[in-house]
Amino acid sequence: MSLNHLPASSCRTEGCTLTGALSVTTQIRDAITVVHGPPGCTHHNFSLLHATSVENDRVELPPLISSGLSETEVIFGGEGALDRILDRAISCNPAAIFVLSTCIVETIGDDVAAVCDAKAGVPVIMIPTAGFLGGSFQTGVNNALVALAGMAEPSLGMNGGVNIIGEKNLEYEVDENFAEVARLLSLLGLSVNTRFVHNLTYGQIDSVGAARLNVLRDPALIPVGEYLKEHFKTPYISGFPLGLSGTITFLESVGAACGIDPRQAIEKERGFEQDTLSDFADIAGREISFSTLFPTHDGERVLRNIAYAFRLDVIPSGKPVPVPVTPPVGIAGVRRMLHRWRRAIHA
Amino acid sequence: MHECGTPLWPCAMTGAAACLAGFDGISVVIHGSSGCYYYPATLLHTHLYGTFILENEVIFGSGDRLREVISDLSGKGDRIAVVTTCVPSALGEDIREMVSGSELIVVDSPGFAGDLEAGYQAALAALGPSVNPEQSGVNIDGISLADPFHEGNIQEITRLLYRAGIPVGTVFCRDQADKVKTASPFTIGTNEDFGSGVGTSLGGTLGIPSLRTTLGKLAGIFDHADTDPVLKEIDLQEERLIHAGDKFLRRYEPPRVAIFAGAAYALFAADTLKRYLDAEILIVGTRNDLPEQPGGQYRVEKLAGLEAVGRRITESDPDLVIGSSFERSLCPDRAFVGIIPPFRGQVRLAHYPLAGLGGSLYFVENVLNACMDRAP
Repeated sequence: MSLNHLPASSCRTEGCTLTGALSVTTQIRDAITVVHGPPGCTHHNFSLLHATSVENDRVELPPLISSGLSETEVIFGGEGALDRILDRAISCNPAAIFVLSTCIVETIGDDVAAVCDAKAGVPVIMIPTAGFLGGSFQTGVNNALVALAGMAEPSLGMNGGVNIIGEKNLEYEVDENFAEVARLLSLLGLSVNTRFVHNLTYGQIDSVGAARLNVLRDPALIPVGEYLKEHFKTPYISGFPLGLSGTITFLESVGAACGIDPRQAIEKERGFEQDTLSDFADIAGREISFSTLFPTHDGERVLRNIAYAFRLDVIPSGKPVPVPVTPPVGIAGVRRMLHRWRRAIHA
Repeated sequence: MHECGTPLWPCAMTGAAACLAGFDGISVVIHGSSGCYYYPATLLHTHLYGTFILENEVIFGSGDRLREVISDLSGKGDRIAVVTTCVPSALGEDIREMVSGSELIVVDSPGFAGDLEAGYQAALAALGPSVNPEQSGVNIDGISLADPFHEGNIQEITRLLYRAGIPVGTVFCRDQADKVKTASPFTIGTNEDFGSGVGTSLGGTLGIPSLRTTLGKLAGIFDHADTDPVLKEIDLQEERLIHAGDKFLRRYEPPRVAIFAGAAYALFAADTLKRYLDAEILIVGTRNDLPEQPGGQYRVEKLAGLEAVGRRITESDPDLVIGSSFERSLCPDRAFVGIIPPFRGQVRLAHYPLAGLGGSLYFVENVLNACMDRAP
């Protein structure tokens, strides 16, 4: 049972631009992100980002500070508070400072850009966010990625690697999904150039222009892919491999984009697929239902294909199985999901 | 302006939601954006509703949206409480006017108005708790859904009161909504940071000395109470506690401790470690405002930001840190015990107390195990 009571209109639940942008900027480990707003906005996000880090076995805390607006600044303006916190951030000598604003700052009309422009000595980069007034979570992610890409030097030569663009850094299995994509690329003899942006230094941003191909986490990042294509002439693939058939398609697409014959890689992956079908043969013929609504259209298609491949009957009276927030990445992701389905089927 | 830096404590909006959502029979609506909704919804692990307002509602007014959400909830039979977030509060919309005709509880506690405790108290005031002089039993207060020990505290204090033959009155704030107005005339606390101020306080239950004193007062008030079985249990268990502490001290130096928590839990931790382990309390940093008399034997200061906490840890160089997973991340190589949220990176399913006898046992047990695990 879901404990969330959400409205039918999905545009209302697309999250906060601030959180989306923070999920990117806090991955630059030697930079500081300043949230211009009340302390609560920073705390909420700091706690969320901390949770994600710890759950992925990283103990370091996100480099995130607040201008700490109180009622006084909400009434009289918060530019002074931003100015002071920027000075304090600069005194820490970071590689860069990202400035993100909140919905209350948008409401009171602080000129954030002017305060940022007045600073020197350290790159102070304002990223367009304004809480829910700036768009959705995904808007924040895209804006941050484009802003960071804009800081990269275009002069580096190509190194033959592949960039992973816009990983969902708040996703619990972000590293497992990355590992799966890296494994598939390795079947084609390709290596990863840069995880843009996941656990980087500011200086490493420059390497984003050196890849031969960009693999986007999902199609919502196409504006970022287009930006990178325009600036660095790098082609892109619009999403991670989802499900069984999506994995094979991914190998074909990457092979085509890089001029590599994928047949050997596909044959090997088909073997892995067969092994997986054998490992879960015991659930074949069982009746299942999907326990929650699908967050994405793609999700339903991918999961129905997986059910079909494993000869599971999807009917309303079937055993409810958990539906992942995002469809499983690669065959390794399918296996992890099938373990959960098997538990549910046998429950 | 608040202390700048990285704030370690939730905002007033979250505190208000923590108070209101503790009562069955109240539907809590977070009036704001989805971003504001998600934090209390995930922290409090309870049912919350949201208006999830959009930009056009900021420009043209959020009345229609609020009425839509309230209308959807009105068939449930619950009272509806609306908690405002920063933007609706700054816009100054009159929530009561917007939904006239509804018996709304309205709590204006935007994030910029203060911290968790401020919002909790604002919400409690909006509920208008009152005492029924005829009501038997004793209220339990200090319960906040934001406190990971709240359920354990309720269970532990209820158990002790049951053993003493004393009924439980109203639990502030985790009870039926209609019991807010019919509280008992007497109250005992589990966490003074969230005191209700309802009824006559007979004392707290954090730490064994405090628990004994409170039981003594209860025995004086309730003629039919028999606190002897509880006092005997306390004597017996405290012997075990003393024995465990002594055994530790036969091999190890007392821990040098830095404590970071809400004031009530922080001082409980300091007193308990001093009492049973002769610990050296290097610093007591409180997330919230200090109580009037913050335990004169310790260095106590309000430290609600990450940088200040990190500085104190570096300066004092403790071998045991009490706090949250923020502190644990700052010094992963030191012995650590968590008493304040968040507890990230841990699976916690069972309910543990910090109040009552069980709370002291749980706390010291964890301290000893943490210290021995990290001992050279």
